Amino acid sequence: MAKNQKSLSSVFMNGIITENPTLRLVLGTCPTLATTTSAINALGMGAAATFVLIGSNTVISLLRNIIPDKVRIPAFIAVICTFVTIVQMVMQAFLPSLYESLGMFIPLIVVNCIILARAEAFASKNGVLASAVDGLGMGLGFTLAITVMGIIRELIGNGTVFGINLLGAGYEPMLLMVLAPGGFLVFGGVLAVANLITARAEKKKKDEKGVIHA
Amino acid sequence: MQLSNGCAIISGGILFIRATLYHLFNSERLVLYLPKYSFRGGIHPMHHEHEGKLPSRNVPIRDFVSDTVCIPMGMHLGAPSKPCVQKGDHVKIGQVIGEPVGGLGLPVHSSVSGEVVAIEERISTGAAPALCVTIHNDFQDEWVEGIKGYGNVETVDPSVIIPAIKNAGICGMGGASFPTHVKLSIPEGKTCDTIILNGAECETFLTADFRLMVEYPGKVVDGLRAIMRALNVKRGVIAIEDNKPEAVEAIRKAASGREGVEVAVMRTKYPQGGEKQLIRAITGRKVPSGKLPIEVSTIVTNVATAAAIADAVIDGRPLIDRITTITGCVNKPSNLRLRIGTIIADAIGECGGFSEEPGKIVMGGGMTGFAAPNMEISVAKASGGIVVYNEKKARSVEESPCIRCARCVEACPIGLDPYRLKHYCDKGDLESAKAHNVMDCILCGCCSYNCPSRRWLTASFKITKEAIALEARRKKS
Amino acid sequence: MKLYLSTAPHIRSEQNTQSLMRDVIIALLPTTAAGIFFFGLSAAMVIALSVVSCVLFEYLWQRITKQPIRISDLSAAVTGLILGLNLPSTAPWWMPVIGALFAIVVTKQLFGGIGDNFLNPALVARAVLLASWPARMTGATAYAIPTMWSGADAVTSATPLAGYEASTMDLFLGNIPGTIGEVCKAAILLGLVYMLVRKVITWRIPVVFLAVFAVLSLLVGENPVVELLSGGVLFGAVFMATDYTTSPMTPNGQYLYAALCGVLVCVIRNFGAYPEGVTYAILIGNIVTPLLDKYSRPKLYGKPKKEKKEAKANG
Repeated sequence: MAKNQKSLSSVFMNGIITENPTLRLVLGTCPTLATTTSAINALGMGAAATFVLIGSNTVISLLRNIIPDKVRIPAFIAVICTFVTIVQMVMQAFLPSLYESLGMFIPLIVVNCIILARAEAFASKNGVLASAVDGLGMGLGFTLAITVMGIIRELIGNGTVFGINLLGAGYEPMLLMVLAPGGFLVFGGVLAVANLITARAEKKKKDEKGVIHA
Repeated sequence: MQLSNGCAIISGGILFIRATLYHLFNSERLVLYLPKYSFRGGIHPMHHEHEGKLPSRNVPIRDFVSDTVCIPMGMHLGAPSKPCVQKGDHVKIGQVIGEPVGGLGLPVHSSVSGEVVAIEERISTGAAPALCVTIHNDFQDEWVEGIKGYGNVETVDPSVIIPAIKNAGICGMGGASFPTHVKLSIPEGKTCDTIILNGAECETFLTADFRLMVEYPGKVVDGLRAIMRALNVKRGVIAIEDNKPEAVEAIRKAASGREGVEVAVMRTKYPQGGEKQLIRAITGRKVPSGKLPIEVSTIVTNVATAAAIADAVIDGRPLIDRITTITGCVNKPSNLRLRIGTIIADAIGECGGFSEEPGKIVMGGGMTGFAAPNMEISVAKASGGIVVYNEKKARSVEESPCIRCARCVEACPIGLDPYRLKHYCDKGDLESAKAHNVMDCILCGCCSYNCPSRRWLTASFKITKEAIALEARRKKS
Repeated sequence: MKLYLSTAPHIRSEQNTQSLMRDVIIALLPTTAAGIFFFGLSAAMVIALSVVSCVLFEYLWQRITKQPIRISDLSAAVTGLILGLNLPSTAPWWMPVIGALFAIVVTKQLFGGIGDNFLNPALVARAVLLASWPARMTGATAYAIPTMWSGADAVTSATPLAGYEASTMDLFLGNIPGTIGEVCKAAILLGLVYMLVRKVITWRIPVVFLAVFAVLSLLVGENPVVELLSGGVLFGAVFMATDYTTSPMTPNGQYLYAALCGVLVCVIRNFGAYPEGVTYAILIGNIVTPLLDKYSRPKLYGKPKKEKKEAKANG
């Protein structure tokens, strides 16, 4: 299978750019909208999801020949649950304040589409190393996207980034940005910019190849 | 359901009271204060300019005969007639020069006496070239032999009326040019109890029907009686808008003592003279979607057609001339009695030529007429007017985006939603357009007139209707 | 000689988009003047900034995206004027600018420009500003007491809806705290009459809106006159609910839309968490508009009865 021969670096970059789960596949929008109220929340969410992704991808890839096809979804969920529980407990123990602010959304990683999608679409068909790298790439892509959103929302909505005041004391924060509508607005804006960049890049590539397009 | 029944009873009641009052106080002054016959929707185009009628309104009809006429063979709806004269032939007035073809065919008569100088294809009434017979007038005004009328419409044998109408080559002179004898043939199983003569003349600029009613009211009433007797109908209504009190008076005088003839004063509103609008306003009936007026036992025809019928029945005179309003940017706006086939350049010359640089010449009124491609086209049986626009008024207006102001919905007399319909029509989505009743559109132009964004709504519907009709024909064959 | 060719109709009404928008601006002038009269130069500054930035944003956006420049249709100016009148006179300079950005770029142009926005741009801007800087938009810290009587400058107060005591006459003439445009009811009614006379709008939306609202207010035990004259309900019903693009096209749809807005204002005022709900009520009405358009199509002339029965049997 030629597909499996893809280099690890291309698998890695795939998750960050070409198939960025948030910006290109628009998966996992619930945590994207809910946890990007501040940069640190977004980063924490991203890290947690990345850990779960790497773990679940690795284990599912290992078990891919054992799990019967008919029950694969429950099996995947069980594996994912294990890692989510680990994350939850670790976070509760060592990062109690982050745990408090993410709250409900940590257990909800279980039903995060990205993780199940990678298990189904990649880990169950590819080798262990590739799956782990895919999980890392996807996780980093997710983290990157939501951290950018978190930075924007925190900067406009609170005047700070990672808790550091950047806009001075005179700045009057725009509360809307840390409320739900702000999440949608920033998400839409970031998606639009990402689409614009990709469209430009593709056009450039085509122009370089000398393809005539109408 | 109950609500709509209630509404029907109330509106029926109002119509009844209105009609009763009308019969009781048949006087001009009182009528002006009574609620008038009208319909839903519609517009008041150029209201502050008296619908553009003022320049030609009080100009009496005068005759004009040009030295050359170019008579198109396809002046009526249906297959064009077949020329039956040769180049070089000498023809007399009233001589048949085109023989009817097919079920909707009509004969065409020479409108002057003289020599046939050409039989050729040229752009005459529509965009596509059609066969025309050009005759050079010798001004002898010789009539062809054998023209014989029946004298009086009240005593004539009813069975000869419709053949006389057909032989006179009469088609609807209000614009649709549907052969009148076909319209007056009631299909099997249908009845007719009301004839409506359309003298509303709601179209802008035109005053031809108004002058006809003022100057020849007897002919109009005779024509109506002829139709009533031919079809054995007891009620005939002549509908006139309330901006034409002189016509109302003249017709009322002419109609007094005539059996079953009424005059209905309509509110001035466009398209008051639309067939469906007239029937709704006068009888309270609604023509079912996609059906003809005979479905509700009504026939509507134009006053000019009625006058032509009177001529055909009384004198046996074929349709060789018609009254046409020439107005707009001409020096002497007039109502001319023109021979069929008169070149419009000649007619405009008779009216003193252009008063400004012309930008557009429209055959018919401002709302429904078609723009003439050149000055060489002819006056046909249905040409009620020639309106000349100056350069500034003629310039095509550029569409801007729809702002959803709802003016098209307010104006539509049929109850369509034009803004949505245009969306489908522009996309070429014929199915959705049909589902939104594009085929019911009467192309009155109210939506386009009202649109502040200057969108070509009516044009889109026209194209779509033609496309759907074409598709239906293709499927059939 | 050159002859133009076109399809019928060959005459068009004299109203065009620009003239309609100009009429709306004229109708808003009494309200603007009253606002400046009551709140002084700061109100004029807010309004001017709002109008200028709306027009500027529209121009820049159309320039950047290489569209035809349509600022001459005056729709951006109308949006700017309505937005300015929706702000308190104490608003800092950046509030109308950010409002204009949301109104013109986010709400109007991103959805396709004039005629394609599904929400009223000025109202979205107001909602955004309200959610972002609530203390600056409403309440005791935002609303100046009209200075023309007291002589003192920039004294702020609560609105009549939140406990400020005012006579009915003051409510009607506008001698009360509030946003620049909403206070003077007399001027708003003047604008309404002008728009009705010039046939810019029909009576349906404002009258049904206010009537439903008044009747409901009476039913929940409030004084309908005071309720009508308080807050922005009159301004909203006359100038914002009647926005062409975001209100239904069909008469029946307009009745339903106006009634819905009236009900929502009353519900939000009396049972909601906010003292005033005109903004949200009209925005919700805007969202329902496409649905109303779809299900309130005008009755077709001569619609066959059989079809009706079939539709009933199916539905």
